[in-house]
Amino acid sequence: MDQDLWVASLYAFLHDIGFATYIGGAIAMEYVLGPAQASIPPAQAQVMGQKTADRFLWLVWGSLGLIIVTAVLRLNQTFLPGISELDFNSPFTHGRLTLELGYGQTLLVLFLIWCVLVINGLIITFVLRPRLTGRLGTGTTAAGVSAAQNQKLKAAEWIQRLTRADLVLALIAAVLGASLKYGGLIDL
Amino acid sequence: MEWVLRYAQRTMPPSQVAVVCKNAGRRYRWFGLVSVLVIGLSGLFMVLRLDDGELAARAGSPELSLGDSYGQTLLLLTAAWAVLLACVSAMAFWLHPAQAKRSRPHMTEEEVKAERARVGVAIKRMEHVLRLELVVTIVAVALGASLHVGGLW
Repeated sequence: MDQDLWVASLYAFLHDIGFATYIGGAIAMEYVLGPAQASIPPAQAQVMGQKTADRFLWLVWGSLGLIIVTAVLRLNQTFLPGISELDFNSPFTHGRLTLELGYGQTLLVLFLIWCVLVINGLIITFVLRPRLTGRLGTGTTAAGVSAAQNQKLKAAEWIQRLTRADLVLALIAAVLGASLKYGGLIDL
Repeated sequence: MEWVLRYAQRTMPPSQVAVVCKNAGRRYRWFGLVSVLVIGLSGLFMVLRLDDGELAARAGSPELSLGDSYGQTLLLLTAAWAVLLACVSAMAFWLHPAQAKRSRPHMTEEEVKAERARVGVAIKRMEHVLRLELVVTIVAVALGASLHVGGLW
């Protein structure tokens, strides 16, 4: 096989692995590990939840990084006819990637979904997770303990909501990504 | 599962690891089986929809024949799918049920030991099958990705 085709194959492989890891990880966390976690005592479930979430967040960031890097590399390839229209100077896109065509519109929506996934990931990593793992000081009053517990419960609820929203968005992205082969699903 | 659950299990007492594994495995085996079947069916429909004209227009001008890299890669992909189907079927119908402890009243100490050893063997086998499944899945993704450019070689 031609070296350029090997590179294209490698980019496609890494892109697919990144996406499969993200969506498979989210499904496993939500529908396999979540219910399994509920079957053990709450204190142990909390420790398990922290450990699995720590690891899962590494997977999420690794996958999101891999997805965008390999997406740009794939669009920047010059040897496949019709998909060498990405440019790093204004107006950035040409040919099939322009917003007049379904392909470009679908790619834009895919990029926006990726941005939302990154924003949700940032909220979970830097806002909600620290609230969930925060420890109480020795002089905390009963009212303080109750308030902290409420805050943790709310943080856990929001993490679950955002994770489910991410899962739905990732499924939509899968459909849109698959449609690119046929010119894109969105055609305004 | 391999990267996330194994890590979390290290800090858990063995009895709770067993409960979590039993519950996670119960759901995972059906997700695995349904996913493999959906992949197989959708893959079959995609192959049936292929036509020579469309293939020839792709990079590398592949052909749907065993004399061409595209056909050979597709055959290898089918073999990988068959291995995955065998793995998830073994997990769903043999290895996961085999992990359930069968205790009866009045079991002798030797019978209890033998039962523990049997469950231990089932857990080890499950781990090996899970790892094989992960490796074959990664190989299958590589094979599938190479089809975009006419096959792996």
